[in-house]
Amino acid sequence: MLTSRDTIVAIATPPGRGGIGIIRVSGDATKAVARKLLGRTPKPRYARYTDFVGVDGSVLDQGIALFYPAPKSFTGEDVLELQGHGGPVILDLIMKEILALNVRMARPGEFSERAFLNDKIDLAQAEAIADLIDSASQQAARGAMASLQGVFSRRIEEMVESLISLRTYVEACIDFPEEEIDFLTDGKVLLRLDDILGQLAKVLNDAVQGALLREGMTVVLAGKPNVGKSSLLNQLSGKDSAIVTATAGTTRDLLREYVHLDGMPLHLVDTAGLRRGTGEIELEGIRRAWQEIERADRVLLLVDASESDELRPEKVMPEFVERLPNLDNLTVVRNKVDLIADEALLKKELLSSEVISVSAKTGFGIDKLKQHLKSCMGFSALGEGQFTARRRHLDALEKARDYIAEGRTQLIDTEAGDLLAENLRLAQLALTEITGEFTPEDLLGRIFSTFCVGK
Amino acid sequence: MKDQQFDVIVVGGGHAGTEAAAASARMGCRTLLLTQNIETLGQMSCNPAIGGIGKSHLVKEIDALGGVMALATDRAGIHFRILNSRKGPAVRATRAQTDRLLYKQAIRYHLENQPCLTLCQQTVDDLVVEKDRVVGVVTQMGLKFYAESTVLTVGTFLGGIIHIGLESHAGGRAGDPPSNRLADRLRELPFRVDRLKTGTPPRIDGRTVDFTVMEIQPGDTPEPVMSYMGSAADHPQQIPCHITHTNEKTHDIIRRGLDRSPLFTGVIDGTGPRYCPSIEDKIIRFSDKTSHQIFVEPEGLTTTEIYPNGLSTSLPLDVQQDLIRSIKGFERAVICRPGYAIEYDYFDPRDLKYSLETRHLKSLFFAGQINGTTGYEEAGAQGLLAGINAARASRQQDPWYPRRDEGYLGVLIDDLITLGTTEPYRMFTSRAEYRLILRQDNADRRLTETGRSLGLIEDARWQSFCNKRDAIEARKQKLAGHWIQPGGVVAENLNTLVENPISRAYNLLELLKRPRLHVTELLKVSGLNWPGDEINEQVEIDVKYEGYISRQAEEVERLQRQENTRLPKDIVYQDISGLSAEVRQKLEQVKPFTLGQASRISGVTPAAVSLLLIHLKKNAGRKQLKSA
Ligand SMILES: Nc1nc2c(ncn2[C@@H]2O[C@H](COP(=O)(O)OP(=O)(O)OP(=O)(O)O)[C@@H](O)[C@H]2O)c(=O)[nH]1
Ligand SMILES: [Mg+2]
Repeated sequence: MLTSRDTIVAIATPPGRGGIGIIRVSGDATKAVARKLLGRTPKPRYARYTDFVGVDGSVLDQGIALFYPAPKSFTGEDVLELQGHGGPVILDLIMKEILALNVRMARPGEFSERAFLNDKIDLAQAEAIADLIDSASQQAARGAMASLQGVFSRRIEEMVESLISLRTYVEACIDFPEEEIDFLTDGKVLLRLDDILGQLAKVLNDAVQGALLREGMTVVLAGKPNVGKSSLLNQLSGKDSAIVTATAGTTRDLLREYVHLDGMPLHLVDTAGLRRGTGEIELEGIRRAWQEIERADRVLLLVDASESDELRPEKVMPEFVERLPNLDNLTVVRNKVDLIADEALLKKELLSSEVISVSAKTGFGIDKLKQHLKSCMGFSALGEGQFTARRRHLDALEKARDYIAEGRTQLIDTEAGDLLAENLRLAQLALTEITGEFTPEDLLGRIFSTFCVGK
Repeated sequence: MKDQQFDVIVVGGGHAGTEAAAASARMGCRTLLLTQNIETLGQMSCNPAIGGIGKSHLVKEIDALGGVMALATDRAGIHFRILNSRKGPAVRATRAQTDRLLYKQAIRYHLENQPCLTLCQQTVDDLVVEKDRVVGVVTQMGLKFYAESTVLTVGTFLGGIIHIGLESHAGGRAGDPPSNRLADRLRELPFRVDRLKTGTPPRIDGRTVDFTVMEIQPGDTPEPVMSYMGSAADHPQQIPCHITHTNEKTHDIIRRGLDRSPLFTGVIDGTGPRYCPSIEDKIIRFSDKTSHQIFVEPEGLTTTEIYPNGLSTSLPLDVQQDLIRSIKGFERAVICRPGYAIEYDYFDPRDLKYSLETRHLKSLFFAGQINGTTGYEEAGAQGLLAGINAARASRQQDPWYPRRDEGYLGVLIDDLITLGTTEPYRMFTSRAEYRLILRQDNADRRLTETGRSLGLIEDARWQSFCNKRDAIEARKQKLAGHWIQPGGVVAENLNTLVENPISRAYNLLELLKRPRLHVTELLKVSGLNWPGDEINEQVEIDVKYEGYISRQAEEVERLQRQENTRLPKDIVYQDISGLSAEVRQKLEQVKPFTLGQASRISGVTPAAVSLLLIHLKKNAGRKQLKSA
């Protein structure tokens, strides 16, 4: 059923000394490889403990051999998996034997590529595999796994399904106007549009979380000079990266640190202290700071707790809050709480839900801050349904949402069925960039199976 | 009449044949139209109605290229309506119920007055083939006619078998002779032939129908017009249609008759076209519906025959009689022709090129039902294109055909030769991805200029088109030059009509973008003055749809590279690594001309298209290396 193409092999486990080492072979010559190395083609999908034998008859290793005949395999081709002992020397020996059998080394990602080309997985799933491979944390790995299993694809498909069913209805109204189906008069379409917009918003929200999970959240440390931004960066990263001095205006350039908080990827950015500028260099530093603040997923506004008692952001630094594009991203962090002598004041502060009090010097409150950042990312809520997503997916979802919203407006403003239909078509087109295509013929098929039309 | 030489021969005088012959002759080619019977030129063999959703789009495009169908419809239409009038201009359509006789007359009049066209009553039995090229035809009498190009439009129910109940017999549409020698001859050639099925309702004697108990459906006023050159003054007397419904009793009768239905006892396999299901089909598949609409349509002014649209059936005649009489208004109705199902042959359109020339025999063109389509409009559209390309080929000119974004004509041809068909192919607007561009109101603006350069447009039509085109531009200019200042009286007047009050100076063209503002209102408040006609409509659509239209234009642009990437004739899909056997087989079946066409074949995935592209790139690279 599948085309003849060269056979590829790769070591599927990470390099280095491991407990087990897996070698994977895919392609038409797979059976021949099995016969040479194992003396037979193993029974499909049965784990079998066996010798791996070289051409000269010597036993190279012993382990489990698994054979998946086409098309019911990961790549859609014949696949053989050899699970032997993990040592690099042994693995290399076996690889050499296999490569001598008219098999070549696989390029990175080539197994997934073949799976995609043979329609075993869709694009979203193929990308999820890549994510799974380089996911930096267990949680991200779990998300990637979920995407791989099609959680994301399934969510999108559910939505596409609602969209198709609405399109079916709208197109039937257009192509069969004499059939007593009339969407302009029955208000059903509006309800269904809102329903789909609701679904979209949910998926989009989850996808944003998914993208954060994959790519990591960018957290910018901002505030007046000398409030302890650089100290906090050092504290969070556990490294002495930033220069810390008692001089206001120490930091000029942006300083970036990539850290993991319990496996959660974070991009921390330390910035120049904000104040009425003094000097060219500092002004440029402040300009760059603002650029970063505007792009951030989360802004930590640091305040020197020993200088101000204010808890509310707009009181803490009104000129800052005014310029901030999105208040939802803002967290006020009161630093240097170790300097507060007044116990009562400290107690009141610690009870407040609006601010987080820390000491970059002593490490007080840092756990609470980490916890806070995790929850900002939806990290704590990460359950079975969480999936990783890419920017590409978010774009597609946003485009789809905008088209549907525009279609809704057209329906309400001008009752224009043709423009509604066009927007729905475009929305679906956007979504199929994630999953797969849908042709006019498919649409007609839906109409005929759904409605009793035709004279 | 002996061994004459022509530029173009058209065989068949149906809707494809007449458009083909007329187009070729308009282009100045000496054209011969051969028909079995001159009396049946332009015969409407099924329901005499022209247009409808998707179909009137085709008719107007034929008209924009100087064809005859729309003109004849305006001469013969006895009931005109605009469908989808409130759903937006892109999906608006015109439908006319016509008088069968008047239509035939109008067609014949056009053909008889067409210079360069010779009409001749002869049955064609054979083709004259030299090597791989058709050079002429032989008639039953043994007459030979030669031509540079030959167009065959002989597809009306080739090898037809008619089913009524469990009885069946060979036969064509409504008493026509079924197949002929020519069809047998074609089957010997290497064309792929397959079978299709369809059905028709019983015809009823109008004198036995009680119209007074039915819902009346009058034509629209003002009367819609089909041709860009037509007017309501061309129309004959107008009469209404009626609507009635089936009921539970009808459905019971049908259910009891199913054991004698050819469709449900396996005599015919499959259930016919999905868009035109038989009444028994509807009742089985949508069993929760207790009633179906029936359009009671007159067949003409001078006949009492009635076409009950929606009652297609192949049940035995006694069941047909009973079910008809169970319907309101039909209690005493007499059937004058029974309904039936028919199976017939068609030639796989995937054996054609975009020009409708066959891939196997040069200079031979196929158009109409022979290619697996149904409907006068679909037939006429193909006839026109085949006629144009036959004429061009006779002059050694390259073929011409519209792209999918230029016309429903383009959609039709591309669908046929790319997808083939497994049911009689009928046009729908949902087949056209660029629906907002392809409107029935702008077919002339899309095609008439090209038509003129192809030699299809006579001076009068050209002049009228130019006037319209210029008027649209002139009015846009005037609107753009007329400014409304905020706060003024005019602005105040306008503010009562719009949601967001006018806050700055606007010109009228900008204001037209706003919902619920139309040219008429703007004229009223601004003091500008010109007639309210279809020119205003064009201005308005242009302005209101601008964003959408340019977005579709971008989409076209984006895909243009794929469309222009030609696949070499000698491409061996076997050699392209990575293509699945299924995809390869599909590509072999269709043999697409371009990458764009390949991408539209069902089952050819985006991944497969990428592989094709990679293959082309590799090969191009290799060729460059060689030539360097
Ligand atoms: N007691 C105490 N001192 C702190 C704390 N955090 C920072 N400091 C001190 O505050 C001073 C400024 O710290 P930095 O981290 O350089 O402050 P910054 O906000 O980066 O300053 P600029 O880069 O100049 O904008 C240093 O002397 C730090 O040692 C804290 O939590 N407690
Ligand atoms: Mg600093």
